[in-house]
Amino acid sequence: MILFLNLIFILLAMFMSAYLARHYIFTLTALYHQKEQPHHRLHDTTYQPTVSVLIPARNEEKVIGRILQRMTELTYPKEKLEVIVIDDASTDQTSEIAEENTKKHGHIKVVHRSPDDGGKGKPAALNHGLKYVKGEIVYCFDADYYPQRDILEKLTACFKDPKVGAVQGRVTVLNEPDTLVTRLVALERTGGYRVDQFARDNLGLIPQFGGTVGGFRRSLIESLGGWDVNMLAEDTDLTFKVYFAGYKIQYVNDAECYEEAVENWRSYWRQRSRWAKGHMQCAFRHLWPLVKKKNLRLREKIDGFLLLNVYFVPILVGLAWILGATLFLVQPPPWIRILWVAIPISVYSSVGNFAPFFEVGIGAYLDGRERIYWLIPLLVLTFLFNMLICTKALMDLCVSKITGKKRHAWTKTLHNGRGNCYIGNYNKVE
Amino acid sequence: MGGDLLARNRQGFRYTNVKPNYLHTFVGIGIAATMLLIFYLPMYRVLNESALIPINIFNFLFIFLLFPLQGPLFRKVCLLVAGNVVGLAWHFIKSSFGAVSVFYLGADAFKIITVVIGPIIDFVWIVSVWSLGLSMLASAQRRNEVKWEGSN
Repeated sequence: MILFLNLIFILLAMFMSAYLARHYIFTLTALYHQKEQPHHRLHDTTYQPTVSVLIPARNEEKVIGRILQRMTELTYPKEKLEVIVIDDASTDQTSEIAEENTKKHGHIKVVHRSPDDGGKGKPAALNHGLKYVKGEIVYCFDADYYPQRDILEKLTACFKDPKVGAVQGRVTVLNEPDTLVTRLVALERTGGYRVDQFARDNLGLIPQFGGTVGGFRRSLIESLGGWDVNMLAEDTDLTFKVYFAGYKIQYVNDAECYEEAVENWRSYWRQRSRWAKGHMQCAFRHLWPLVKKKNLRLREKIDGFLLLNVYFVPILVGLAWILGATLFLVQPPPWIRILWVAIPISVYSSVGNFAPFFEVGIGAYLDGRERIYWLIPLLVLTFLFNMLICTKALMDLCVSKITGKKRHAWTKTLHNGRGNCYIGNYNKVE
Repeated sequence: MGGDLLARNRQGFRYTNVKPNYLHTFVGIGIAATMLLIFYLPMYRVLNESALIPINIFNFLFIFLLFPLQGPLFRKVCLLVAGNVVGLAWHFIKSSFGAVSVFYLGADAFKIITVVIGPIIDFVWIVSVWSLGLSMLASAQRRNEVKWEGSN
């Protein structure tokens, strides 16, 4: 029995070490290895196909005016741009604000979902919007986002490469100074995008489509059947479908978009629970096809495997910690002292949205930040929180598997529009 | 205020292309190796692997992720040495805490404290000192950039 537990402990330690090595490679890549991105070549900005922007919105009256105003300020030619707001059966002023904008600006449209059909989550709303799309490229932006003016040029330049099926831009936190949680989320985003996604793109691995600030070729998204309404992480689901279909995803670090991050631990819990459950669903669905797929390179398969399992890591870290402590206390074999290293490694490798602290720190350094480093030790709080979230998510999934429940409730993140005060030229739409 | 935040976060078309400073890295390896030799040889009687492993991890991270970055070598060396001293201090605090727990609560309590609290305590000092070092380097770098922009 003890031997069996020791074997499990060694396996867990190896798993943690694999993640640690992965993040270390990503960090070094983000620091020293940078390939040129398509939009940096001037001639590529002449490639301007018709594009459609989908903005799903359910009860977003506090923020919808902000993004619609931004849509009128984009530098992409208006004759090639259409913006479709999907009013997902809102019960507040979202619909009225959006309609007001359609009257003023010809390229903005609103489609409404009835109370019977609406409110079933973002994937369902996006599928509804997809029916009205005319552009060759389809982008999605969440209602609380605030993109750069030239974001569409930067993202669209990637589609000149016929192998690119989808693109992903960078998400940066708008309301960072508000609370401790928004500051920690900003750190996580820095590590996740500036280092993780950037390195994946540079190394030819699998950059992840994040569900927003990104887009697809319309032909591709239609052939994939749109967004899967049964998946809580429809973005990760689509990431793997794109690769399985023989296309790739390109990450564009310069295409920045600001988001309104969750402000308190309760909202953080709700949002991350959805992400964790969704990611685990994707792992169950895509792990085996990923192994079998012949059109993927070995490094893509390895990265895909680690990406799919990333939300299991906090659970396994907790398990390794308990197991290590038990073995140490019950019957320490002579070599447990050597394996002592496994416990700190497992903790270090998992801090900060599962990215180690050094990844987050280097991301902040590359961004030219100065003071935010002081908060890095506090990422241990989000890590411990994620340990609970992921364990609960796994338990929920197991329960729903046993009870045969297929559909999971979509928990919407509420936005209060406090980020508006950080936008200098924003004229609040009442 | 809002404008400032957006300007601060914005990356634009600028690539932050970091060219590794190999000379600094080699100097860092030399200093870290010397310090570790001191820890392993003359001090081995008072230090066990629960002290040396976190110090090794700290040195590894510091050398390969901070020494290659732009910034004054003297500052990096001071931070590396200070980090090792803090690591030792943490170890002695942890050991004292353990000794007190053995005295009052028994050997089992010591084991539990070592296993459960040890990694967290190590995490606190490694991450804090590393973050402080990065912060100081980033500030120096930013000051240089501002000076350079001012002179042009």
